[in-house]
Amino acid sequence: MARRKSPLYSLGGWLLLFLLLLGVTFPGLGLGPTSHDVRPGYGVSELRWLSDYLPALKGTPGDTPVYVMKGKKEGGVFLLLGGTHPDEIAGIMAAILAVERGNVSQGTVFVIPHANNSASRHNNGHWGHPELQWLEITTSFGERRHFHYGDRLTQPEDQVPDPKEFVQYPSGEKFPGYEARNLNRNYPGKPDGTLTQQVCFAILQLVEKERVDVVMDMHESGISSRMAYMLVCHPRALQIGAMAAMELEQDGISIKLETARKEFHGLSYRELGDRTGVYAFLMETPNPGQEPNIDHPDIIHDPRAPLNHRVYVQLKTIFALLENYNLVSPPERAIRVSFPFPLEKLDTEELGAFLR
Amino acid sequence: MRRALYLLVAFGLGVALTLPAFAQEVQTTSIVSFEQPVLITSIGQSAGAMMAMVLAQKAGLSSFVYKQRASLKDVEVAKTLIAVLGASGKGLGAAGVDIDSEIAWGKKLFAHAKELKIPIIAMQIEGEVRRGPMSDRIINALAPQSDYLIVKDSANKDGLFTKISTENKIPITFVKTALDVVPILQEIFPAKEKGDMNNG
Repeated sequence: MARRKSPLYSLGGWLLLFLLLLGVTFPGLGLGPTSHDVRPGYGVSELRWLSDYLPALKGTPGDTPVYVMKGKKEGGVFLLLGGTHPDEIAGIMAAILAVERGNVSQGTVFVIPHANNSASRHNNGHWGHPELQWLEITTSFGERRHFHYGDRLTQPEDQVPDPKEFVQYPSGEKFPGYEARNLNRNYPGKPDGTLTQQVCFAILQLVEKERVDVVMDMHESGISSRMAYMLVCHPRALQIGAMAAMELEQDGISIKLETARKEFHGLSYRELGDRTGVYAFLMETPNPGQEPNIDHPDIIHDPRAPLNHRVYVQLKTIFALLENYNLVSPPERAIRVSFPFPLEKLDTEELGAFLR
Repeated sequence: MRRALYLLVAFGLGVALTLPAFAQEVQTTSIVSFEQPVLITSIGQSAGAMMAMVLAQKAGLSSFVYKQRASLKDVEVAKTLIAVLGASGKGLGAAGVDIDSEIAWGKKLFAHAKELKIPIIAMQIEGEVRRGPMSDRIINALAPQSDYLIVKDSANKDGLFTKISTENKIPITFVKTALDVVPILQEIFPAKEKGDMNNG
C-alpha cells in the first residue's frame, strides 16, 4: 500500500528546497551585514550605509555603516577607513574611537570602521591564529566591551568560489585566486562584480559623490615586517606625507615614508588617488597577531606594540597629515578634527579609558 | 701642591670631554658654504628627496628645484647638487629601474656635476629605516664622491658614515631629526641680501 504524503510534509519539503536554493544562490543573504559594538558620540551627525552609494549592497554581508561627522564650518572632506583587513585591528579601533569621541569643527569626516564587513565576521586564521576571534577591552566604567577580530579576506561563503588565478579588474594584473576576496586588491571595483568588487566600487562612489579631499586607509603588518610604521602616499600626496613624517619625528614617532608603485593595481591609495583628486594615504602599524611565529599573540598588551600605542600612532599620523593638508589647501577646504583629551594620553593609558 | 694636581687633572678631563663635541660643532657650522640655485634629487628613489625639498622650503632657500630623478641637463643649471641617498623598492619600481641601473645612473650624475665643478651635498635624512643592503650599496658607491655629508644620527649606528667621512676627508654634520637640517641649510646657503629670501 502506497504511503500517503501529508500536505504539511510536502510544504516543508518545498520550503527546505527553497531555502537551500536561496542559500546556494545568495550565500550571504540570510546573514546580512555583521553588527558591531560602536557607540557614536556627539561628533556624529548622521548614520549612513555603504549601500547608499551602491544599492546592490543593501542586505548583503558587504554593507557597512558609514558615520558622518559634520563640522559647524564648511570645509574639506576626509574619509577614514578602518577594517579593510579586519584582522588589522588598530585601524578598526582608531576608527571606532573617532566615531565615539571625535569632534569635527570644520569640514566633514566620513568614518567606515569596518570597510570589509564580510571579512570582519570571523577570523579564518590567515596568519595562523584562528583562536583570535574577539577583543575584550574594559572601559573606565568597568564594562567589558567586545570587538570582532576578523579575517584578512571576504568570507568565502559570501562570494563565488575563488578563481584559480585572480585577474584584477581593470588592470589585468594577475594574483593568486584568494586575492579576489582582498578589498585592497579590488579597487576601483565593479557595480555588478563580486561582493568585494562591489564594496570597492561603493567606496569609490562615496569618494566621488562626497568630493573627498583626503582618504586614510588604516592597516597593520607583522611586528618584524619592513612594512611596520610605514606611511604610503599616492605620488600627488607625497609632499603632505613628507611634511607630516618630519613633524611626527619631532613627537618621537619615526615612520618610513613610501610612495605608491605605478604597477601595483587595485590598492586603495593607488586607485582612489589616480581616479579622483583625493590625497590618498595608507598607514601600517605593527600587530603581533600577524606574526605566525608568535604563539598566542597578545594583541592588546604585547610590550613591543601595545594596542593603545598603535591606535595613538594611527591617529597622530592622521592629525599630522590633516594639519599639513590644511597648509597646502585653500582655507575653505580645511578639515579640523579634535578629541576631548590630549592624544598623547593614548600612548600611556589603556584604550578602554577612552572608549564610551 | 696636591690640590693643584687635582685641578690640573680635572681641567684635563674637562677639555678631553668637551673637545669631540667642539670639534664636531666647528666642522658642522663654519667651514662649508654653497651657492644657489640648488638641484635636489634622489639616488635610490626613496621619499627622502621630497623631504629635502620640504626642508629647503622651510629653510627659506630662494632658488631650488626638486626632481625625483634628475637629468644631466637639470644638473647643468644648478650651482649645488643635493643628492638624497636611500633605496626604496617601491620608488625604484615606480621609476621603472633596478638598483644596478640606479647606482650606474647616480655615478653618471655625480661625474657630470664634478665635471662642471658643481659641489655635491649627500644627505641621508631618513635614518636607520633607510639602511639595508640596497641603500648601503648606494651609500658606499656615492657618499665618498660628495663634498659634504648631512646624516641622521640613527643612520650611522654602525659608523659607516663616520668611516666614509674620515677616509675621504669629507666634512659631515649629524642631525637627530630631519627638521634639524633646516638651520644647517640656512647656514650653508647664506642669503646674499635680505631680499634674496623673498624675491618673488
